[in-house]
Amino acid sequence: MQENTEYRDVWVYCEVQDGSLTRPTTEVLAGARKIADKMGMKVVGILVGYNLEKIAREPIYYGADRVIVCDSPLLKSYQAIPYTYVLSDMVVKLKPWAFLFIANEIGRELGARVAYRTMTGLAADCIDLLVEDFVMHTPQGTKVFKDCIAQVRPDFATRIAKIFTPRHRPQMSNIRPGSFTPLPRDENRKGEVVQWNAEIPPEAFAVEVIEERSLPKSTIKLEEAKVIISLGLGVLKDANGNPRNPLEAYRYAEKLAEAVRQRLGVATEIGASRALIYSNIKELEGLVVKDRQVGQTGKTVAPDIYIAAGISGAIQHRVGIMRSKKIVAINTDPQAPIFQIAHYGIVGDLYELLPKLVDLLGGSGG
Amino acid sequence: MLIITLYKAVPARTTKIVTVGGVLRREEMDLVMNPFDYKAVEAADYLKRAFGGKVVSLTMGPDFKLKSIASNLFDAPVEGVDESYILSDRRMAGADTWATAYTVSLGVKKIVETHLSAVDELLSLLRSDGSAESFAEKARELYEKNLVPNAVYSTLPTLRGATLAERLLGGEISREEAVRLLEKIRKEVEKFIVIAGIKTSDGETGSTGPQVAEALTGMLGKFIPSVTYVRELEADPEAGNVYVERKLGDYIQKLRVPLPCVITISTDYRPRTPQLKLKKRARLYSYAKKVMDSVVWNADMLGADPQLIGLAGSPTIVGPGIDVGSPPVQKFVGKTLVFSNRVEEFEFNGKKYGPFERLAKADELPQEVLEHLKGRGLVKVFSLEDLVEELFGVRVSVAREH
Repeated sequence: MQENTEYRDVWVYCEVQDGSLTRPTTEVLAGARKIADKMGMKVVGILVGYNLEKIAREPIYYGADRVIVCDSPLLKSYQAIPYTYVLSDMVVKLKPWAFLFIANEIGRELGARVAYRTMTGLAADCIDLLVEDFVMHTPQGTKVFKDCIAQVRPDFATRIAKIFTPRHRPQMSNIRPGSFTPLPRDENRKGEVVQWNAEIPPEAFAVEVIEERSLPKSTIKLEEAKVIISLGLGVLKDANGNPRNPLEAYRYAEKLAEAVRQRLGVATEIGASRALIYSNIKELEGLVVKDRQVGQTGKTVAPDIYIAAGISGAIQHRVGIMRSKKIVAINTDPQAPIFQIAHYGIVGDLYELLPKLVDLLGGSGG
Repeated sequence: MLIITLYKAVPARTTKIVTVGGVLRREEMDLVMNPFDYKAVEAADYLKRAFGGKVVSLTMGPDFKLKSIASNLFDAPVEGVDESYILSDRRMAGADTWATAYTVSLGVKKIVETHLSAVDELLSLLRSDGSAESFAEKARELYEKNLVPNAVYSTLPTLRGATLAERLLGGEISREEAVRLLEKIRKEVEKFIVIAGIKTSDGETGSTGPQVAEALTGMLGKFIPSVTYVRELEADPEAGNVYVERKLGDYIQKLRVPLPCVITISTDYRPRTPQLKLKKRARLYSYAKKVMDSVVWNADMLGADPQLIGLAGSPTIVGPGIDVGSPPVQKFVGKTLVFSNRVEEFEFNGKKYGPFERLAKADELPQEVLEHLKGRGLVKVFSLEDLVEELFGVRVSVAREH
């Protein structure tokens, strides 16, 4: 067993795109700040790549105390083996207490490999981080591990669990985008930038990057919206059970979104439940696309206002929206589980209620 | 190609989950194959049809539960898998992704070693003074055990005269030539590929694929690449490479990946149609048959360190569950009683109440207090207009003027 007391600080693997930190990176920095402050530890941003000079201080502006930069032309493209090599080397030599990644394509792979290599645990898909004592009951008796990270994640699709890594360090997790609110960017924050020289064996570069190309960026920014109006399978029928054209519901949602934008001047988006997206409804083709999916397998969101129209609220959906400041549920079924977590409930027909809301907001209703 | 697909049995229904202290009791639930793993079988099937080889399925869990799932894979989805291995041992239960990756990688290593030692047996026969007849006899035995491909020995009429054993018997090739050909076959086995789904429907971590690559890196003493979210897959087994395309956020990466490697297949993957010109090669490098009985290995047969498997080998521990609770205040349109205006602190039957803000919830006040307030027109039913006011800060009378 490792001696845990010599492990210090909360590390964040930082991702860069188009010359700035990605939004999920700034979110995870805020999450790291939260637990580091509880522990009296530092937040350390880890930057690996090429041409990082200009961006090296950015993690500090978003809450880090220190940035470790590994900058090399060899690391220009993301590749699992050399990146794992660099990070594992840092972990072994510098002994962080926690190491956080983003739960995206890169963070999941890299975090998993580094965790295995350094023989520690990995909690995936975390939506929150807390500091708690962990009590372990064994046949030999009860053991208390002081100040562990309770890594909160949806578990087995039916409940939320706290995952602990009590005996190993660093405690590693990947964090779902949308789980924390970034700290405001502040160039007056103080911190140091240190360079890390990695000597990577040439065999680590056996994979060849043949081509990299950008995809057209999605214009749907659910994570950044202040108001989200989401539709579920309830769009298929009205309260009397008559089939309706789901496109009609979508147009109402669009009008409501526009009315909210006009009145409040905030970013507003249309979301959808997994059930609606996977139904591949012809009328909604090209509109209700995967980028709109809210929930455990889609996006975790935390807007000021979340309106769930015709969404029954499976646990996977509720987990994805539970951080919203105000949840409004519109559903014809008073027993729908969505009402359990709604601040405001309307038992009724979305085909009546959406146009009414548009009208009340001064938009051109249905 | 030796193609090893990993799959996992997951609970059939999320409503009937049996856990003890956060650990799934798979033996007590109805299990189905993880839906994400079908893509891995599809990709494996494509590689086999295009380039030859065999598809071996590998999983970990209680064997009496897994055998029926394993047998389904023999005819799914196109040609299906050829052999099935199940790692089953009570000591493996409760494994997190670390312990799972360790155990599964030992299984991968043992499968590869089994195939390598079959080729090695033949090589040592050739290198010793064994006759061509005894070589052919051994080749037939190993072929029937499904351990060497058609290129070595075959009963296929289309390959009559084309196998190594026949050519050696007929004096068409020398011993040295035969050794060279066998070494080439050995190399193909060494250059195996592990294919998995991108994640499971129960744990959803997506960690196991990359961790298997890392575990194999340690066990084989060389860097094993992992490529996740693969949406296109091609291979060049002669050169020992696969070509993949993966999506990383907003960009696409195309990679040449040397074998052996571990890839996870995205739900976007669609298998291509194998090229006809490769058909002969595919046939030569395919194996005799499907071995429909699952092979079950326990921890001892794998040579697993008991401290690194199951619950004991898992760095993470599942703690208590949390309920997704209700918000402190809930208001229902057309139902909840709220204050129609701000009400200053007041006394009723000697008790003090308030002050209350406009639209504050009044439901929880004692019945007689409510009646008193109702009588004075101070409470009303929460309306859609009130909701709009509270959510958006828009007094509806104002909105109407717009």
